[in-house]
Amino acid sequence: MASVTPAMSPMRTRALGGLRSVANNAVSIVVFLAAWQVAAMLVNSPFFPAPHRIVNAFIRLARDGDTMGNSLWQHCWASLYRVLVGFAAGVVLGVPMGLLMGLMPRFYASTRSVLEPFRFIPPIAWIPLAIIFFSGLTRFAFLIFIGSFFPVFTSTLVGVARVEPIHRKVALVYGASKRYVLTHIVLPTVLPDILGGMRVGLGAAWLTIVAAELSGGTSVGLGRMMVNYAELLAIPEIVVGMILIGALGFAMNEVLLVAERRLFRWRWQVTL
Amino acid sequence: MDAGTAARGGDAKVRVDISHRYGNLLVYEKLDLGVRENEFVCICGPSGCGKTTLLDLFAGIMKPSSGHVLIDGVPADPKRQNISFVFQEASILPWLNVRDNVATGLRIKKRPAAEVARKVEETIALVGLQGFEGYYAHQLSGGMKQRVAIARAFATDADLILMDEPFVSLDQPTREKMQREVLDIWARRRRTVVFVTHNLEEAVFLGDRVVILSGKPTRIVADLEVKLPRPRDPVSEEFTRLRARCAAMLHAVHAEPRE
Repeated sequence: MASVTPAMSPMRTRALGGLRSVANNAVSIVVFLAAWQVAAMLVNSPFFPAPHRIVNAFIRLARDGDTMGNSLWQHCWASLYRVLVGFAAGVVLGVPMGLLMGLMPRFYASTRSVLEPFRFIPPIAWIPLAIIFFSGLTRFAFLIFIGSFFPVFTSTLVGVARVEPIHRKVALVYGASKRYVLTHIVLPTVLPDILGGMRVGLGAAWLTIVAAELSGGTSVGLGRMMVNYAELLAIPEIVVGMILIGALGFAMNEVLLVAERRLFRWRWQVTL
Repeated sequence: MDAGTAARGGDAKVRVDISHRYGNLLVYEKLDLGVRENEFVCICGPSGCGKTTLLDLFAGIMKPSSGHVLIDGVPADPKRQNISFVFQEASILPWLNVRDNVATGLRIKKRPAAEVARKVEETIALVGLQGFEGYYAHQLSGGMKQRVAIARAFATDADLILMDEPFVSLDQPTREKMQREVLDIWARRRRTVVFVTHNLEEAVFLGDRVVILSGKPTRIVADLEVKLPRPRDPVSEEFTRLRARCAAMLHAVHAEPRE
């Protein structure tokens, strides 16, 4: 009956697994770069730069800034800041809306014909209206909000349905208030779904920011920088922008993943 | 057959006198039952007689269509009284460890932190889960999970502890072990217990009284005092005789034509 595996051993295996995963990924990066190098040598065209030309472009941009005098960090920070503001708005509105609709399924059922179609209008389709109504940070934050709201809202909504009636009953039997049920039963159940939704929403946010910056209205931002260099046919600089977007998105995703693993050990260990 | 008469008087800790409808379906027809303080009452009935609903009514989380459930003369209300529940299915909260699960009832009742810590430690020792305080549900066996639920129920010094077939999903040896343990805990921490089961042997083994219910509309068919001394021997002659008597009554209920 007391056949419980000692708590230390799975932890150690997981730490080892983590190290091995990092090593494997380092190998994957090297293999990818090698394949790229080989392909570039085979194609041998100025329109297919080898990895070292991207590195050189990166160093140039980092050291001297772009042709307009904006530094690479200004571009990165401008995009990152817009993403963070719009994404925060998406989470701040998406979570309570999802909880509310999840807890009032009848209200959701009778309003979903209004709500749900919005989900299928891609954030990019909002750009024309955003150009007319907003400018500067508001425009970008609004578009990113559109992109990240629905993933967060929908996964919160779905998460509420996952609350086990028995868990609610446990709280009620001891005389818990509705508020207690919300904060101590519903929220802990939904939190993993919220974080999952946030990761999806973050992906949508990066997708949107680049499209929004490409459409103009700003002099800084990674998307803007890429368009500027496209006009100069400077391919390595464009690729630097692409890689930075990928790297920033990946880093933010990893932060959320680590938070997920830490917070929801009780859920994650099940899949070990 | 008339063990309930004493409790039907004024000395009952818990008094049930209800009729209950679910839509057009008459679930309970003038169900009248009294439970004395610190008594261990087992309720048995054919499946579908509404045993779980009965416990929800006892706990005050469901209101009967007519009549009342009184605990110490006051209508059952989980906000005002100390009621505990051990459920049939796994009910421990998977995001909390054993310690916090056992503390749940006490925390909802806003007991001071020092008292919570003391009670939790005591009760964890009572169910023999020392050393597992930091474990989560997925690291525990079925029997251990039910022990956590039992510890949670006993931690609050409940006026009434309701148990809804708590051992039904356990294997036979574990189930027998848990039955003995529950009696042991109950002997040390005297509480009023209402235990629902469809297993007559379990009922006769555990209960001071065995109440047998009919199928819907549910009424009390028999209310038997079990006078055998504990620990009871399930293969002794008196035990088997009593069990057979209960079985005969339950079978008679099954044979009754339903409306």
